[in-house]
Amino acid sequence: MRRIESHIDTNAADYKANFAAMSERLKEFHARQHAARFERPQRDIDRLARQNKLGVRERLKLLLDPGTPFLEFSTLAACREYDGAVPGAAVVTGIGIVQGREVAIHANDASVKGGAWYPHTVKKIVRLLDVALENHLPVVHICDSAGGFLPLQHGVFPDRYLGGRVFRNQVKLSQANIPQIAIVGGHCTAGGAYVPTLSDYNIIIEGTGAIFLGGPPLVKAATGEEVGVQELGGAVMHTSVSGTGDYRAATEQHAFALAREIVSQWKRMPKTIIETAAHEEPYYDPKELYGIIPKDRKTQFDMREVLARIVDGSRFHEYQPDYGTTMICGFAHIWGYKVGILANNGVLFNDSSLKAAHFMQLCNQNRTPLVFFQNITGYMVGREYEERGIAKDGAKMLMAQGGSVVPKFTVIANASYGAGNYGMCGRAWDARTLFMWPQAEIGVMGADQAANTMADVKIRQLEREGKQLTEVEIAAIRDPVLEKFRRDVEAYTSTSELWDDGILDPADTRNALGMSISAALNAPIDDPHYGIFRL
Amino acid sequence: MRRIFMIASHEAECWLTHDGSRFVLNMPDGAVPCQLDPTGAPGAHVLRTGGRAHELRLAVGSESTFIHLNGRTFEVGRVDPDDRLAGRQGAAGGDRLLAPMPGVVVSVAVKPGDTVTEGQPLLVIESMKLETTLTAPRDGVVAEMPFTAGDSFGLKAVLAQLTPQEE
Repeated sequence: MRRIESHIDTNAADYKANFAAMSERLKEFHARQHAARFERPQRDIDRLARQNKLGVRERLKLLLDPGTPFLEFSTLAACREYDGAVPGAAVVTGIGIVQGREVAIHANDASVKGGAWYPHTVKKIVRLLDVALENHLPVVHICDSAGGFLPLQHGVFPDRYLGGRVFRNQVKLSQANIPQIAIVGGHCTAGGAYVPTLSDYNIIIEGTGAIFLGGPPLVKAATGEEVGVQELGGAVMHTSVSGTGDYRAATEQHAFALAREIVSQWKRMPKTIIETAAHEEPYYDPKELYGIIPKDRKTQFDMREVLARIVDGSRFHEYQPDYGTTMICGFAHIWGYKVGILANNGVLFNDSSLKAAHFMQLCNQNRTPLVFFQNITGYMVGREYEERGIAKDGAKMLMAQGGSVVPKFTVIANASYGAGNYGMCGRAWDARTLFMWPQAEIGVMGADQAANTMADVKIRQLEREGKQLTEVEIAAIRDPVLEKFRRDVEAYTSTSELWDDGILDPADTRNALGMSISAALNAPIDDPHYGIFRL
Repeated sequence: MRRIFMIASHEAECWLTHDGSRFVLNMPDGAVPCQLDPTGAPGAHVLRTGGRAHELRLAVGSESTFIHLNGRTFEVGRVDPDDRLAGRQGAAGGDRLLAPMPGVVVSVAVKPGDTVTEGQPLLVIESMKLETTLTAPRDGVVAEMPFTAGDSFGLKAVLAQLTPQEE
């Protein structure tokens, strides 16, 4: 496979300006990520110490194989909700390695509001269990939660993808013969009691862990019975009387040692075999991505330069290099795994859509996972293109993409606008993992277009009422809308709402993809089949 | 296809076969039976060929292999046949820059009479929320820049014209 020949001049003024702008963004991003992971008010740290509990990060250290990567999802979930007071949505999720096996991890963060489930917490847990289901990953639950956050009960409880879905997914996992283990290192109350009880194995830590449908205050209110935590649902009672708990652990350390031993007993399922090559680092330095991604979102750049800093050996076999050139398609390897790459080099036209559809069929036929690199402002509009059937060709692309049976992975590298987001495997299209770069934008349309559209509607409405607006009045209508839209399309909004699995430092993209692909191969790949292509 | 190696800036085509009992290195000017065995020390091997044994050390990289033999180091580079045989991509550029899609001109960087070099930015266009810089397809002299900033244009409109090249 040939190496991509880079045309980037690392001494050029543009490159340096881009590099400086991205470095600045990343400084902010890493600071925010660090804060979400580690910075807590002293009273919360003191409370955990008083309760004789370890923090969630220490627990992960005890669980995971030392020196192995942990692919954490949505570290900045809920960063724009609840006045920023619920970092990470009070839960840590990700894919890690336990006794050499890839597992999905769901760990409550009791240093945030006692690990209470907020609406975004539920969304994050459900997403993690979806990841486990799609990729056939065993699950380790680390339970330590105050329960649903009552003031927002309607946001955590009743709907299809809310609280009940956590337990429903646990049932589906079990049905699919995917093992689960729960370590109870705090209270599992009400619905939360089903996390350990629906797991194949559970361990309760003596003194701190407890499981009950109703805690002592609720019991007293309901029946008048006065009972302590340990008698009601402690480790001793459950492991010797009720059989609700399997193992009693003397300490946190003991609990995680037991958990690791249990994980190592599980039958190891063979992974799906795809084409591989010897692992090779990219020839070009991934950090050069900082200088390649333009500081202005609107500026066009060559996605081949990006691919050259992500794929093994910077080698790329480009498919149909001279046809539909705004859509780059081709084969490469990431962490040795062969993948089919679709990357935008401009607007999607008829030919580029057809090329993408055809290429995805090739990859499905060949059981080659797909990786999408989005920088898409949409499918081309205008009379010429409608007459050529741009909507029909876009539909073909969606049919091939949505009908793909191979695992798909998406990186929103820059713009992700309109139907282009759909064609390029946006969130609704079941990418196994979907990550965003910090400067990327996502929306139905660009902030400027949206603000202009909305302001125009308003202005015309006022004009019909006979009002003539001055420039100042128009600006007064337009500017607040623009400001709101600019914020709404930012990656931080997306990641706060869990429309992605997290923001990535571009230089980490290769490893995040490698780990995602490796995890995806735990599930089998179906035979290709599609719906009807509008020809 | 035969493998292509680059040894001391010469291309050598060779391939390895096995005749059932030993390896044979085939080269355009003949075939040589040979055997390569590791000695256990890092990179150290013994090469047996033509009735003689040579001690050598190998360091294998992604692009080439280094061989230390008789006090000298040889670099054997692997040549990607696709790279070698494809030739130069894209013939010399034409005289005209055509609009890849309808849009609006954002800025124009050159004027008629200017001398430009291949890859030099000529103008920036905006379409579908994207700003694209269009560059000179070859070295030459600008004959015409039909649009100015703010003008809109249709698909395949001529955005820049270079003076025809003399033969």
